[in-house]
Amino acid sequence: MSKLLIDKDFKRRIEEISDQKLSDCYQCGRCTAGCPFANFMDAPPNQVIRFMQLGLKDDVLDSQGPWLCAACLVCQTRCPRGVDIPRLMEAVRAIHLRAKEGLIDVSEIDKEFLLDAPPLALMSAFSKYTY
Amino acid sequence: MRIPYYPGCTLYTKAKPLNTSLHACFSAIGIELAELPHWYCCGTTFTLARDNRMSLIAPLRILAKAQQENGKVLVPCSICYNTLKRANYMLNEDIETLDILNEHLEESYDGNEIVLHPLEFFRENEELIKSKVKKNLKDLKVGCYYGCLLLRPQQEIQFDDAESPTIFENFVSLIGATPIDFPLKVECCGSYLVVTSPDAALEASYKLLRNAQGNGVDAVVTSCPLCYYNLDALQEKMAKAHPGFKQIPIFYFSQILAIALGVEEKNLGLEQNKVSPYEILKEYNLL
Repeated sequence: MSKLLIDKDFKRRIEEISDQKLSDCYQCGRCTAGCPFANFMDAPPNQVIRFMQLGLKDDVLDSQGPWLCAACLVCQTRCPRGVDIPRLMEAVRAIHLRAKEGLIDVSEIDKEFLLDAPPLALMSAFSKYTY
Repeated sequence: MRIPYYPGCTLYTKAKPLNTSLHACFSAIGIELAELPHWYCCGTTFTLARDNRMSLIAPLRILAKAQQENGKVLVPCSICYNTLKRANYMLNEDIETLDILNEHLEESYDGNEIVLHPLEFFRENEELIKSKVKKNLKDLKVGCYYGCLLLRPQQEIQFDDAESPTIFENFVSLIGATPIDFPLKVECCGSYLVVTSPDAALEASYKLLRNAQGNGVDAVVTSCPLCYYNLDALQEKMAKAHPGFKQIPIFYFSQILAIALGVEEKNLGLEQNKVSPYEILKEYNLL
């Protein structure tokens, strides 16, 4: 964990964009247990939420977790507190993308893959990684 | 009888087999799929940011266009289905947003359109489907892969139980094939991560195919063109990353229905499958 910089405005922004209440989460870890991509993440879903609860803006924004969220909604289905975790992950992506950080560079996508992949793979990725 | 139909962009390009075989199926059961006269991209994916109203314009326009045809629209692509259905649900809950967005449309939408997936249509018309089945698919052991978008969020989609659905298995039984349950049938294939984190998508798809194979399936069936791509096109890479992996054919639900209904081979769209489906179909005398 980096320096403890608590940012209440950041917390409020996450809650506004996601329409979720961070204090609803009691850190049971069920989201992370069911997440198919948690093992690829530096900070898994429950940890990203903990950073949010503590207002640790830099830790949230530096985390790769939200970029590996496929919005599959397994965590949303299983959360005993009704927290819509994918909306929290989308809020992190939105904050980055609105600041024009983390956009996909189309020229870096493999050409052969571009021709082969179905349009909705690209459209979905663009709607999650561009703004 | 005719039913308004929204194919979506991918069914005109990489997922043509889904479009062709579905048309053949409906023609075989005597129902006309009436494609909407005007349609656009559904705006995939459904936005999860509550302050992003812009992303709702695309699905709203489609719902408004569909409403001019009939009270229902048939949507076979899982991503389009999920996007349209979630937008529909949200606009019904949030009248203020609907009013604001309606001001930007040529026509206005009242929130009452029903978005229907073909599997829901088949569930409502079991006797009709059963009466048209011509081939015996009993030997074909099919793993029904739901993926995410047909099921979640359950409250909004109301397609089936999000954790242990059965609508797909019931469909497979209805047309005479043998459904095989496997635990990862509701787990994510990696979706659009195939663009940005291909390794994560590859491992997720590999894991669920192995799980299906471990339960004894001959083939996996899906409704989503993106799941289809990840499960079918990535198998060559899976075989390289995991020596000993045995490739397995992937079908759209409409392709196995078309086979059962005795549709001509040229309308099945099988030639686009990366993993050949011919061996297994010939083994069971289905071609």
